[in-house]
Amino acid sequence: MIAEYTWLVPFIPMMCFLIIGIIGKKTPEKGGYIAIAGALCSFIIAVAISVEYLTGDAFANGDPITSQIEWFHIGDYTIHLGYYVDGLTCAMMLFSSFISTLIFIYSIGYMHDQGERKNRYYAEVSLFLTGMLGLIVSSNFLELFIFWEVMGLCSYLLIGFWSFRHDNGDEASANAASAAKKAFLVTRMGDVCLMGGLFIFLNLFMSLDYTTLFEHAEAVYAQDPELMTLGLLLIFGGVIGKSAQFPLHDWLPDAMAGPTTVSSLIHAATMVKAGVYLVARAFPLYVMDANVMVFVGIIGGVTAFIAATMALNNMNIKKVLAYSTISQLGYMILALGAGGYLWALGYEELGALGFFAGCFHMINHAFFKALLFMGSGSVIHGTGTEDMRLMGGLFKKMKITATTMLFGCLAIAGIPIFSGFWSKDLVIDIAMHAFEHGTDASVWFIVLWVLAVITAFMTAFYMFRMWFMTFMGEPRENAQHCHGESPKTMTMPLVILAIFALISGLFMFFGLDKMLAVMGVQIDGAEEGLALFSNMFTYLTLVLAVVGIAIAYLMYVKKTVDPGKFNKHGDSWLYKALTQRWWFPDLYNQISWKLGYGVAKGVNYIDRQIVDGTVNGLSGAVVGGGDSLSKVQTGHVQDYSSIVLIGISALAVIFLIIVAQLGGF
Amino acid sequence: MIPMEFFLILAAILFCIGAYGVLTKSNAIVVLMCIELMLNAANINFVTFAAYNYDITGQAFVIMSISVAAAEVAVGIAILLNAYKIRKTTELNDAELTTMRW
Repeated sequence: MIAEYTWLVPFIPMMCFLIIGIIGKKTPEKGGYIAIAGALCSFIIAVAISVEYLTGDAFANGDPITSQIEWFHIGDYTIHLGYYVDGLTCAMMLFSSFISTLIFIYSIGYMHDQGERKNRYYAEVSLFLTGMLGLIVSSNFLELFIFWEVMGLCSYLLIGFWSFRHDNGDEASANAASAAKKAFLVTRMGDVCLMGGLFIFLNLFMSLDYTTLFEHAEAVYAQDPELMTLGLLLIFGGVIGKSAQFPLHDWLPDAMAGPTTVSSLIHAATMVKAGVYLVARAFPLYVMDANVMVFVGIIGGVTAFIAATMALNNMNIKKVLAYSTISQLGYMILALGAGGYLWALGYEELGALGFFAGCFHMINHAFFKALLFMGSGSVIHGTGTEDMRLMGGLFKKMKITATTMLFGCLAIAGIPIFSGFWSKDLVIDIAMHAFEHGTDASVWFIVLWVLAVITAFMTAFYMFRMWFMTFMGEPRENAQHCHGESPKTMTMPLVILAIFALISGLFMFFGLDKMLAVMGVQIDGAEEGLALFSNMFTYLTLVLAVVGIAIAYLMYVKKTVDPGKFNKHGDSWLYKALTQRWWFPDLYNQISWKLGYGVAKGVNYIDRQIVDGTVNGLSGAVVGGGDSLSKVQTGHVQDYSSIVLIGISALAVIFLIIVAQLGGF
Repeated sequence: MIPMEFFLILAAILFCIGAYGVLTKSNAIVVLMCIELMLNAANINFVTFAAYNYDITGQAFVIMSISVAAAEVAVGIAILLNAYKIRKTTELNDAELTTMRW
């Protein structure tokens, strides 16, 4: 009964965090090996739990394994602490801990020259992993929220890892500090929404346990649909913040200021996946309301599209990847939204397909995005720059990195056999289904379908633009002093992940479809996978992807097409809009200056004038009163004795009056 | 027999004289003497009540009170003598002695 030890999965990285924090400085690599061992232990336990669960009776019946202890009471509410294992939990645990292990191994090479700071780094990444694994195995929303916040804290610490001293100077470290603050504050807005949603749910269900919530969802929705809808929307607000969805997506590109391994961790294994996981976890609640699901789908589709446009002309290798992450997260949310919409309308099979597509894309994305980030980290390690204009021709010098990254690019571009193809085309497919079967709101989904298809084209273009600019063509400035391939600790994880980028899409033929069943409805992965080939829209996206790759090839390798012609050499309105990120940073600034600063000024006024004024006034009155009363202290002993005499006389008189009042002696 | 009120009135007059002296006289020795007057006014009251109530306790208290007063005067005079040595005066309104104020 290894599932009873599910709590060990987040507990081991937490112990590693403590051990590294306390004695890590004395161990080799400043605790790096402890972090790897911890992540590996978690992975092994996760494998054991998954094997036990997937072969057990509970899985066959479609039930989760869950157990919880009572944590505390507040009035009528009881809050529990426990674990909840179902197929989604298993899938998430496995890929999070596996990819984290590889990232930690890679960190040994990548962070090698960071000296004493490595200790802090390894402690923080262990805590980060604790947050993610804890969030995955939680049995109720409050527990989830706690780990959610742990991750928020760790992302802040790690994005600002170089805020004290950056190798590239003070400006870079100031940039890291402000990026960390931005990430923290923007996700905080989402977290406040999430907390509000949890309050509403606690109020509606008198509990936050998954089992209770899923059981009573229908009854409660029938009783109070408005409040339930509001709660779901607020929870989705948390997802928008955490998973960097439109309009709170702008923190993620800035978060590139951290070490590349951290970006890899945030984008692939933890953090942004938490938001998608939350939607998937709360799927039985979300399907209650079709309109909320339409909203979720719209946010996802718009995010996918907008983020992809911004990646088109970015020159920073990591930022291109960051935008592609946002764009792919948009796909996942779109799939969950479209699937939930279909489910809410009664098409349970298609709803389960949407759920599967979203989660499946999340898993595939984890593999290839970790691969791409670590590959870019290897390139940055070799060339010392993040600017793709200074790279080029690296294929000859970094064969392993280039080949593995090519695998990643093919996967994300959606070329068949590679993992991205299966899940991305399922996502696009489910948007089409939502249009075909939907009712009045279905017209949205045709728009989202068009956006998703265009995004697929843009994705192929910008990923191969990145790959060609980095690895093909003439070696430019920094590429010329590149000292060759990165060390083995860095290339080994790349090779492993490249294999997964190739094959993880095939998991759907081998049982992942059963694992990611939702509310007892399974899809047939083999059937759905093969159905993609008989769907003409699949060929449409495929052709568009190939065209995108071809355009990138012509522009950046053959140079027969001049990109400058399209953007008037950087002067066109669109080009400027893209480099300004559609003015989202300006919008954030405006909002924070006008609204945030305005509110802060008002609060400041109230605090200084009214709260402080009351306190200061009271203390002033006391001090002034004391001052004037102190004049009584003349220093003349006879004044004191007269006061004593007067006092005693007065007391005597009062005593006599009282006695007389009471009837004399 | 002399009525008890006579003694009590005598004690009250004596007390008032003493209090007046304490509050108005500027010479510390006079103030000390006035304090003795007030004490003795209280002693007279004690003795009076003891005599009229046939209770010996009051007289015992007076003996006690007189001895304590003697000790107190001795201490007071000693302090005054020392103050006089330093200040060359026994005035209560001396500037140096009135600095203990706000």
